[in-house]
This record gives sequence, C-alpha cells and structure tokens, in this order.
Amino acid sequence: MSDTATVEVTGITKSFSGVEVLHDVDLVATAGSVLALLGENGAGKSTLMKILVGDHAPDAGRVTFAGRDITGATPSIARDIGIRMVFQELSDAPPLSVTENICLGRWPTRRGRVDWRNARRQAVAVLDSLGSDIDPDRAVGSLRIGERQIVEIARALLGKTRCLILDEPTAALSASESELLFETIRRLREAGVAIIYITHRLDEVQRIANRVQVLRDGASVLEGPVANYGRAALVEAMVGRNVDSTQRPATFERSDTTPVMRLRDLASDRAFADVSLELRPGEILALYGRVGAGTQEVAETIYGVRKVDSGTIEIAGQPVAISGPADAIRRGIGLLPGDRQREGAFMNRSVAENLCAASWRALSRRGVITRSKEAVAYLRWHDRLRIRSRDDPQQTITTLSGGNQQKVLLGRWLERDVRVLLLVEPTRGVDVGAREEIYRAMRALTERGLAVLVATSDHEEVVQLADRAMIMVRGRIVRELRGDQITASDVVSAAGGLP
Amino acid sequence: MSTAAPSSPMDPSSEAMTTEVRSPARRRATPKVAALVVVLIAELVTFSILAPEFLTRANFLNVLTAIAVTGIVAMPGTLLIIAGQFDLSVASITALTGVAMATAAENQPLVVGIVVAVVVGALAGALNGFLVTVIGVNALITTLGMLSVLSGLARVVAEGLSVGVQDFSTLGTARPFGVPLPVVVFLGVVLLFTFVGRFTTFGRSVYAIGSNPTAARLAGIKTRRTIMMLFVVSGLACALAGLILTSMLGSASPTAAVGLELSVVTAIVLGGTTLSGGEGTALGTLVGLLIVGFLNNGLIIKGVDPFWQYVAQGALLIGAVSFDRLRERFSGEGRQ
Repeated sequence: MSDTATVEVTGITKSFSGVEVLHDVDLVATAGSVLALLGENGAGKSTLMKILVGDHAPDAGRVTFAGRDITGATPSIARDIGIRMVFQELSDAPPLSVTENICLGRWPTRRGRVDWRNARRQAVAVLDSLGSDIDPDRAVGSLRIGERQIVEIARALLGKTRCLILDEPTAALSASESELLFETIRRLREAGVAIIYITHRLDEVQRIANRVQVLRDGASVLEGPVANYGRAALVEAMVGRNVDSTQRPATFERSDTTPVMRLRDLASDRAFADVSLELRPGEILALYGRVGAGTQEVAETIYGVRKVDSGTIEIAGQPVAISGPADAIRRGIGLLPGDRQREGAFMNRSVAENLCAASWRALSRRGVITRSKEAVAYLRWHDRLRIRSRDDPQQTITTLSGGNQQKVLLGRWLERDVRVLLLVEPTRGVDVGAREEIYRAMRALTERGLAVLVATSDHEEVVQLADRAMIMVRGRIVRELRGDQITASDVVSAAGGLP
Repeated sequence: MSTAAPSSPMDPSSEAMTTEVRSPARRRATPKVAALVVVLIAELVTFSILAPEFLTRANFLNVLTAIAVTGIVAMPGTLLIIAGQFDLSVASITALTGVAMATAAENQPLVVGIVVAVVVGALAGALNGFLVTVIGVNALITTLGMLSVLSGLARVVAEGLSVGVQDFSTLGTARPFGVPLPVVVFLGVVLLFTFVGRFTTFGRSVYAIGSNPTAARLAGIKTRRTIMMLFVVSGLACALAGLILTSMLGSASPTAAVGLELSVVTAIVLGGTTLSGGEGTALGTLVGLLIVGFLNNGLIIKGVDPFWQYVAQGALLIGAVSFDRLRERFSGEGRQ
C-alpha cells in the first residue's frame, strides 16, 4: 500500500429518470486520511458512493483510483482493486455463521474444496484486528445489531482494503463499540487506507476526520480540512442559508386544551426509551430524528404494532393497552406508514377501495357495500385533498403519482374521522407541489381539532409543518423546540449531538 | 405515472358524480373476463363445426353437470387465492365428507349423515385455517399435508372400499324444470360468491388482504379472522360437493374426488385470478370452468382417448398463465 491509493472523482453528474441527483461533483479521498462526507437525506451521498463502488455508472465525469481510470467498473472489479463499502443497512446472511459471512463469495479453497480451517483463521484474524471477540461459529442472525455491523465491517476488511467507505457505521453501535470502531479506523488510516466516512454526527467528524466535505441537493458546497470549520458552519452548509427563512405557519399554542394523548416514559425493545410527551387537539407535533433514532418506532408503538416494554399510553386521560392496529383505530388513532408501497397502498386495487379501507363497516349496511357508496366518499376527499388525477374512483391507485397516492392514503384516515393521526415520513418520495398540498390539508384538519404526530427525518418538514418539535437521538428525546425556536439549523444541530 | 393529469374540478356537480360512479365500475374487471369469453365462444364455435351433436341443450346440461362439483369447490377457492392463500386439500375433504356421511347413514337417519358431513367439512377447513393463521404454516404446505392426512382418514373410515347409501339420490339426480339439481346448486353458489366478492365488506377485505397483507393489517382489517373464515367456507363447500357426489353415484368412495385440486386451480387461474393475490372474480372462474368443461366434453364427443384430457387440462393451465405473463410484459405492467 502506497500513497498512490487515492480515489479521485471529477465532474460526476447523474440523473435518475430525468431528475438530476448529482451535479458536477468532485471528491478526493487521500490514502492515509479520513474524509467525512456530510449531507441531509437526499443530498446525493449514497448515489455518489454507489458510483464509486460500481453499483451505478455516472452520466458524466471520471473516477480514478491510484491514477488509473476506473469509471464504470463493475462492483466485483471495484472490490478486487480494494474499494470496499459497508452499507448502512445490514446485507448479511442471518442463518450462516460469522465465518461464512465474512468469507462470503471469497472462500479460501484447497484443491477445489472450501478450506474451512483457513476460512475460520482469516475470520478470527480480521475480527481480532477490530478488537472483537465475536464467536466465529455463531449464526449471524443470533447476534446483536451492533455485532452484526462489526461482522459487516470485518467482511469489508478481508483481503487487501485500500479504500474503505463507511455509511453511518455507528448508527446501530453502542458507545463502546463505536470507540473500537474509531480505533480501527485510526489504525487503517495509519496503514495507508483511504477512508470515506458518511455520518450525521457532527461530534464524530471532529474526532476522527482529517477533511470534511458537504453535499447539498446533489452538489458539493463545502470542502476542506476539518479544523477550518466549526459546527455552525457545517450545519449551515448542510441545510443552506435560505432554509431558515422558510415561511413558518402561525404557531398554535394549545396549552389550554386537555391532551388527547399522553405518553409517559414509554419504552419499546431497543428502539427507544423514556419517551414522554403530550399531544393536544389541533396541534401538529413533530418527532424529528435521523433514521434509526426511534421516531418511527414511537409511532408504531402507539399504533400497537410494537410492544410496550415499559411506560404508559393514555388516550383522553385513560391509560390504554393497544393490542393492534384494529384496536388503535377503534380508539380513534390512524397511522400513515412510512413505506407507501409495502405498508400503505393496495397497489392493484382502486383509489376508492384504498381510501375507504378503514371505513368499510361504516359505509356498509349489514355487511353489504356498493361501489357507489365508496365512490361518493372518494370524490369528497378527491376534491378536498386536491388529488390530481381523473375523478374516476375505480382507477387503480398505480395510475396516480406518488404524491397523489399519499393523499389517497391520508384520505383513508380522514374518511374514518380519527382524532389522532400518526404520520411516518409523510412526504418521503413526494414532489414539492403535492407536499405543499398535504401540509395545507393537515393544517386545515387540525383547525377542526385533529391532533397530528409526525415522525420525520426531514428537517424542512419540521420547519414547515410543526407547532412543536421534539428531537430524538438514539431512542431518546434530547430537546423540545417551540414556535419560533423551530429553525432548520436548531433542528439539525440538536439531532447531531449525543444523547 | 402522469402528473400532467388535468387538475381536479373545484366543484363537482352531483351530475358528474353519478355518471362517474357507474360506467368505470366495470372497466377494470372487464378486459380479462372479456378475453376469456372470446376464448370460450371460439371453443364453442370450433366444436359445433366439428361435431353437430355438440350444440344441443342436453349436451350443455351434461357439461354443466360435469363441472358442478368442481365449480362448487372452486368458488371459495377463488376467494382463497385472491386472498393470497391456497387450498390443495379439497379433494380429500370432499372424499372424507362423502365417506363420513355414507358411513354414518348406514345405521342412522340420513339427516345425521348430512350433519356429520357438514361438521367434518367445517372442522377440516378450520384445522387448515388454524395451522395457517395461528401456527403460521405456509398454506401450500398445510393443505398439501392435509391432502394426504384426510385422504388416509377417508380410507380408514371406509376401510378402503366404497360405501353405499340408500335413498339419497335426490340431491344428485333430481331435475327441477329439466335442469339437474347439482347444476342449480352450482349456479346458486356462483351467484352467492359473486355477490360476496363484489358487494360485501368481507369481500373487500379479501381483496385487500391479497393485494397487500401488511397494509391490510395496518388499515385495521382482521386478516387472520378473514383467512380463517375462508378456509372454513372452503371446507363447507367441499362437504356440499361430497354430498352431491355421493348422491350422484349412490355411494361414497375414498378416491371419488382424486385430482380435484388440479381442476379447481386450473379453472381459477384460467379465469383470470392471479396467484400473487388481490385480483380475480367468481365469474371469471365460472368462465374458466366452462372452457375446461367444454374442452373435455368436445374431446370425448370427437372420440379422443380420455387420457388426453389430462394432457389438455395441464397444457391449458400452463398456456393461460404463460399468456398472462406475456401480456403483462408487453403492456408494461409486469415489470418491477
């Protein structure tokens, strides 16, 4: 390994179906140095890294490694020359052993047969270098998430690694596991590996990175030595100067009304703990946190999808044990799931059926329901939510754009007339126009007494929508912001700290 | 996905609403069933030309009678597949209910035999439903296992032989207004399941569960209970089929319905129900049944060796699904 193991990216541009996600981006990862790559969700970090490891080909621009042009290399070529990536989501094979996972696809062989003893020795060696004592014979599925993350890193380090890309590696790690990882990163850096470290944690940047680069909306907006930039400068680069002046709606302080829902020291599994909050009629409360911070899990726990480990949920002053979605709905709670395709929509069914799915009983008489009843209900919300499509209640929901599909699913709970609406990433994958309309509809509904809890990782959403915001980091609420305190930089800054 | 769609009207007149409510309602279901009806008509025309005796009232009633038992079982089967489930054990439930009825009726009144058959059918369906929804065994495996278990039980109960039944021929052989009673019962079942699929909250839930089980649960639909009920209904339909079969033949045999599951699945899939769930109709299955029924009948009339029926039925099933895949690919729907 020499100093020439430098990855250089110049003038990368990439579009997906007409939308430009990267524009003329340059990036240099030097051997023996750690580059921290920052940026909000959708800034283009993942796409850029996928171009580096050969998952995507750029529309324009060049990728070189140690002076050699490797633009458009396949993933296996990128691997072989030593460019490795640890993805944020686990990509392991749970039923297989730790050894098998680490050596996956690159078995040491002897006379055409897998040399298990050698494989195990290699796995132990690389785990040792990570300061880990995970049993190499255990099934990966039986390990804790943090341990599985370490196995993933070990897999990337098997063989000669010359450039290592880590995508939010500490998101699932405990504090001590994180320390071990930092130690490993320092060792790799000294051994001359070029490291690109994607993170949202600003304190980590200061600790382990030599250089920092910030992407925003597909372009590079800041690049230089870490020492030159303070926390505020990084936050500003991430969120942009203009966002703080985003028009905020008049805030409603609803301390006069009694809460419709109250959480007391709620905890579930390892997802979150000590979550206490009150939600009042007519208020929009945002629960903001990075992916994995536990905001979505709080919403799911209220809805009865996850089990309550400790603490209580009170509805209208009464402690309740919610057994599942059907029970939650009966108590006047609706949930708009974060993954529209997998959890929300009935893709091959009509828009009317999609909108009425929680209200069939109310729309029927003795179990009998007609399409015209559904159609009338649909058309009512078609207009009020400004669903932009033909006003044909029987068209399948796939004929609508993502934003309009989301409006239909929102309509599901309005038709049901719930009192508490839980929204998980309500505008993920929704275009700007539809987003505005969804926000406007939410505000109109809260004026009529609906209480809304939004679990989101989009700071602009918090600024534009919330009357009150609670910031979560690693499963705990770290800060509450009210009214004019809700600015993009405060929100992002609070979420970038340690709990 | 077009975002260039015209913006919604700000004030929908009630007139616009009533016109929009009606016409498109059928638009979605129509193309597939229409294509099938075309295939059916082409088949009828071909056989009429080839064999003059094909196009007679008596022959049509023959075909309807021949598909009645399969059809009764295929109706709840359609809803099961729409819900993303499967029941392969229908042949054994049908045989077991028949044998149980005949055995009970040997030294008890007929009514007792009938009650026994209904109870056995419901219990078998409930056991399928329990294994699938509560234990969580895959429906294919559950009902494949039950196919064997119940077939064995039927043989044990009947001691491997046919069991004769006295004075029970009405259900299978009566002809009110010249139409065989099994045909009347079959058409009644078709009407019932068409109604359930289209006009009940239960039917809506079935489609929703098949389309997206997670979304259905999150929308508050009781998915387990619905699937449980479908299996019980399937068991009950098998009991009805078992009684009709026993009545037609005058005796119950543990092998009376062997291969029924293949005919049922063929008709359902041929009728436009997709195995991925959330799509299909009872009427489509009726057309599928007719296509298979007339094909078998036509082959017999033309004096083709009956063994070829198996070949034809299997080829038809594979052909229909292949056609569906190709159609989806060319219309761009099937791409992920």
